[in-house]
Amino acid sequence: MNLIVIGLNHRSAPVEVRERLAFAKSNLAEAHGLLLAATPLRESAILSTCNRVEIYALADSAADAVPSVRRFLHEHHKLSDPVDAYLYEHRDDGCIQHLFEVACGLDSMVLGETEILGQVKEAYSAAQEAGATGAVLNRLFQKAFAAAKHIRSTTAITRGSTSVGTVAVDLAEKIFGKLGKCSVMVIGTGEISAATARALRSRGAGTILVCSRTHERAETLAVELQGRAISYEQWASEFSAVDIVISSTAAPHPIITKDKLIPLMKARRLRPLFLIDIAVPRDIERACSELESVYLYDIDDLQVIARENMAARERERVACQALIAQHVRRFVNWLENNRGALEERYRSRTANATLSSPAHTPAS
Amino acid sequence: MLTDRTFLWLAQVFYAASCVVTLRRLRAGGGGTNLQRTNYVVMAAGFALHTVFLYLRGQALGRCPLTNLFETQAFVAWAAVLFFLLIGPSYRVSFLGAFTAPLVLVICLAALISPVDVVRAEPLVRSGWIEFHAAIAILAYGAFALAFVTGAMYLLQERQLKTRRLTSSFLLLPSIEQLDVIHFRLLIMGFTMLTVAMIGGVISYRIVGHWTTPKIIWASSVWVLYGALVLARGLWTLRGRKVAVASMTSFVLMLVGFWGVNLLQP
Repeated sequence: MNLIVIGLNHRSAPVEVRERLAFAKSNLAEAHGLLLAATPLRESAILSTCNRVEIYALADSAADAVPSVRRFLHEHHKLSDPVDAYLYEHRDDGCIQHLFEVACGLDSMVLGETEILGQVKEAYSAAQEAGATGAVLNRLFQKAFAAAKHIRSTTAITRGSTSVGTVAVDLAEKIFGKLGKCSVMVIGTGEISAATARALRSRGAGTILVCSRTHERAETLAVELQGRAISYEQWASEFSAVDIVISSTAAPHPIITKDKLIPLMKARRLRPLFLIDIAVPRDIERACSELESVYLYDIDDLQVIARENMAARERERVACQALIAQHVRRFVNWLENNRGALEERYRSRTANATLSSPAHTPAS
Repeated sequence: MLTDRTFLWLAQVFYAASCVVTLRRLRAGGGGTNLQRTNYVVMAAGFALHTVFLYLRGQALGRCPLTNLFETQAFVAWAAVLFFLLIGPSYRVSFLGAFTAPLVLVICLAALISPVDVVRAEPLVRSGWIEFHAAIAILAYGAFALAFVTGAMYLLQERQLKTRRLTSSFLLLPSIEQLDVIHFRLLIMGFTMLTVAMIGGVISYRIVGHWTTPKIIWASSVWVLYGALVLARGLWTLRGRKVAVASMTSFVLMLVGFWGVNLLQP
């Protein structure tokens, strides 16, 4: 009896290949049925995200099962050319370790990202609902979730934001606390400033004002952010009520200067002001940060912090792997201790199955 | 020999342990909220022993244990921990214990090591008003001590935000706005209690009339100092960093004045 994973990810395959192998969420149940019918697998689970497509499976013999799973992938997706070169494969301990690492975000493009755990959970419940999992995969996935929880709470692998937008949100939260009462002004609608505004909105930022030289673009972004578009001439007058400013205009000279800020800060009664300057050349005079309660970050500052956080996560990798090794060992022990009983159960089911139709029901 | 002082020493073991937990949290880069809970439990255990000390001492004296500098210092530290235990969870101030424990440890160890635990030569004037006055004043100092702590946290976090150099404490520390608000609340609480204590002091003076001039000057200065601070923050004249600096300075001045008054004129 072997555990197997066959799949590809962002490292092994380019997006053109990954998208051809992706399974749509809506027909996962059907795919599971086809997979189990076409291959000698005992249990299976399909994990399909934008960065990876993986089939986890339990088979009587890996040697027999692997070629059929590979064949299934090609046939199911009607691939004209073989993608075998992009596929990797791990067995038994390797498979267990791989799933645990995936669930913990160690195998993700952004190390330690947490979205993957939700995706693994969805993949597992889809497989379970399709009746594709059994005693072994059920336990394997449960233990993967437990390992992820353990690693998240005891290491710093998920700590610190790693993109400009989320770093800006972290900073905003360390200045203002909850963002519900904060109003944000977006001046200029670049890609990064939109992402930053979106990140602030997703963490509950209050009012969002958008202004741009081209009013339609301001309108579009304002609608998306559920904010309000204001004309470019208006920004200065609205400025005093704003807590967070994201600036990314194409202006050749600073549009916000220390001299302009001094009276505004007085009117704000020293309530903090968070200035995010994403423009190059910069929109906000560096000297503004000399003022009390003004916190100014430009694109380089944010990128440096994001990179440092990434490096800090990278340093946690070894500690995570040590913890994962413990979890893997525990699962391997369980599997060894129960191998006889599990194999017996599947043998008797096969015997029954020859009498009736094949059924893959969750064993637990 | 198991004396009441032993319990105070034991409490210090827990406060020291809390400092160790903090160092571990910093090394873990902020990973693990379970350490925050551990820290709270450790501080609560220290507080329990600390309370046993005050209780035993109070029983032995047959009055509120504020008869010498040693007892007073231990009492102020106790009040600071009390405020930490109350405020930490209710306002969800993360990392408050990390700053409270070292301060409390310093105040208590200074009291335990220095030869200030002496029995008074002349018996103290007994008066309910005096004890009431003293106990409330000590609670006020406890609130000011915790204001000192939140002020220190504010300055550290504000500095990181301003200089854009984020250390491992960045994610553990609360936002500067939250610290500013809690700081102000502690100042109000402290000042209110101090005002009540002052009124108690005036009444007991009229009844017993034993206060010395340096003590009256010191107490009035502290009251004026903190009163001005509360007013300035309330009217938004001062905010944030300046309030933190002013409050921390006031606390240090208060302690220095306190030692001065008590050591020079027991």
